[in-house]
Amino acid sequence: MIHRWIWRLLPWVPAVIALLAWWAWFAIDRPPASVMPSAFAVIATMADLAFGGRLPGDILASMARLLGGSALGIVTGMAAGFVAGLNRPIADFMNPLVVFFNAISGIVWLPLVIGWLGIGSPLAIFLIWNTVFFIIFQNTVLGVQLVPEVLELGVQSLGGSRWETIRSVTLPGALPYILSGIRSGLGFGWRALIAAELVGATTGLGQLIFSGAEYHRADIIVGGCLLIGAIAMAMDRWLLLPIEKRTVIRWGLVATGQGR
Amino acid sequence: MADKIEVSGFRHFFRTEIGSVQATGTIDLSIKAGEFVTLVGPSGCGKTTLLKAIAGFLTPSEGNILCDGIPVRGPGRERGVVFQELAILPWRTVRRNIGHGLEIARVPKAEREATVARLIGLMGLGGFEDRYPHELSGGMRQRVAVARTWAADPEVILMDEPFAAVDAMTRLTLQEELGRLCAATRKTVFFITHSVDEAVFLADRVLVMTRRPGTIKAELEIPRSASGGRDWDSFTSDPLMQKIAGDVMHLVHAERV
Ligand SMILES: Nc1ncnc2c1ncn2[C@@H]1O[C@H](COP(=O)(O)OP(=O)(O)OP(=O)(O)O)[C@@H](O)[C@H]1O
Ligand SMILES: [Mg+2]
Repeated sequence: MIHRWIWRLLPWVPAVIALLAWWAWFAIDRPPASVMPSAFAVIATMADLAFGGRLPGDILASMARLLGGSALGIVTGMAAGFVAGLNRPIADFMNPLVVFFNAISGIVWLPLVIGWLGIGSPLAIFLIWNTVFFIIFQNTVLGVQLVPEVLELGVQSLGGSRWETIRSVTLPGALPYILSGIRSGLGFGWRALIAAELVGATTGLGQLIFSGAEYHRADIIVGGCLLIGAIAMAMDRWLLLPIEKRTVIRWGLVATGQGR
Repeated sequence: MADKIEVSGFRHFFRTEIGSVQATGTIDLSIKAGEFVTLVGPSGCGKTTLLKAIAGFLTPSEGNILCDGIPVRGPGRERGVVFQELAILPWRTVRRNIGHGLEIARVPKAEREATVARLIGLMGLGGFEDRYPHELSGGMRQRVAVARTWAADPEVILMDEPFAAVDAMTRLTLQEELGRLCAATRKTVFFITHSVDEAVFLADRVLVMTRRPGTIKAELEIPRSASGGRDWDSFTSDPLMQKIAGDVMHLVHAERV
């Protein structure tokens, strides 16, 4: 009973330690507010921004871009990944292209794409897609190729068509890799999003942080970062984890350390 | 009776990075409709290779394979397979694994459930219908694999050491069940095993292979009672059966690798 509670509380330990360190730094060193704000100042500023301020609009704008760009990246990455994973010649054709474009960072695209799409959501969505696509693509290809052939042969011997085999064997078989791709894809998607919003948008958390930098408001910068991390954690916990619990964990494809 | 499966002049080589490996010698073999044929032979002699060719998973390097007189071109639902490495799907429950072939054949739900329920009863899987394979024991998984192939109602069933991972007690039950099932449904079965007793117990005809590259070195007809039924009590007390098992053991023993 007691050690179960200890495990439950464990994830909060780093946050508590960070807060204590933050507080200690203030008690001992008293840094100027533009270097490091106090925790109290951050909370007060975020509360101000939240009630009647720009924060709700910024969060909504950022999340819409993130989800839009990621969804696009996931769908296109999976589709391309399946095509390449199931066809050797197509994989041989696509792999060099993927390596080529994957090496070119999103920031490099920024000046070019501002010229094409202008400033705003389409730009941010493109940059997120440009990040998420490659991660999903490569994970999907690996996942598809690692599905044991015997499972596919088994379904074909039951009379399954190629389509039935893909639907009932390849797709669920590749899912652990695809979900892992989605997890890292979302993380890198956030990075791309904030980078895009710093210069390529007028709203969003990236803009909020940028405006904080312009006015030397460290409290806004720190608050914005904390918010990004918190939203990312919430999405992982309430979006991705439930999907995993119902699929790859339920099927015993990934070990959870429970009931083993 | 007509030949259901006909293998003529079959020989197979695997191409690998370091050259080609001869997996089998030249094999000729025919299996009549409704016949239960078992195959024993040393590890690596090419049993699985032969079974995969009949299943249509690999194209023979040499020779022909006919099913009902038609050349085998790929896998098909008339030839069900139980694999040496279990091929049931981890993401389907026991019920949905067993019913998969019927689902593919678009059998109406009520009929499908009835068939699945009958096989779950027969295989002693009752109470585990909605479990996933990772929640079952190795032997139970193996029973699901057999039931899945059976439910799809193929004309020919190809089995590659299906009971290898089952404990000795369960194995006896499953062998008797399989014998009963086959006698009742008159299916054509090609069954690979390492166990001489199992081979003689189940078969109408036992084939013995030489070591790699394997060819068929002997075949023995096993006399069956008219009902075709089998049980271990009468098998172990029947001197004729014991003599045949001894003969097969000698043939296999000579091929030790
Ligand atoms: N995909 C492959 N590539 C290369 N060589 C192979 C391949 N599959 C089988 N072989 C070789 O062919 C030979 C026959 O293999 P096979 O799997 O048919 O043996 P087996 O009689 O089923 O053995 P066991 O009783 O151990 O299952 C072996 O020597 C093996 O090394
Ligand atoms: Mg084998």
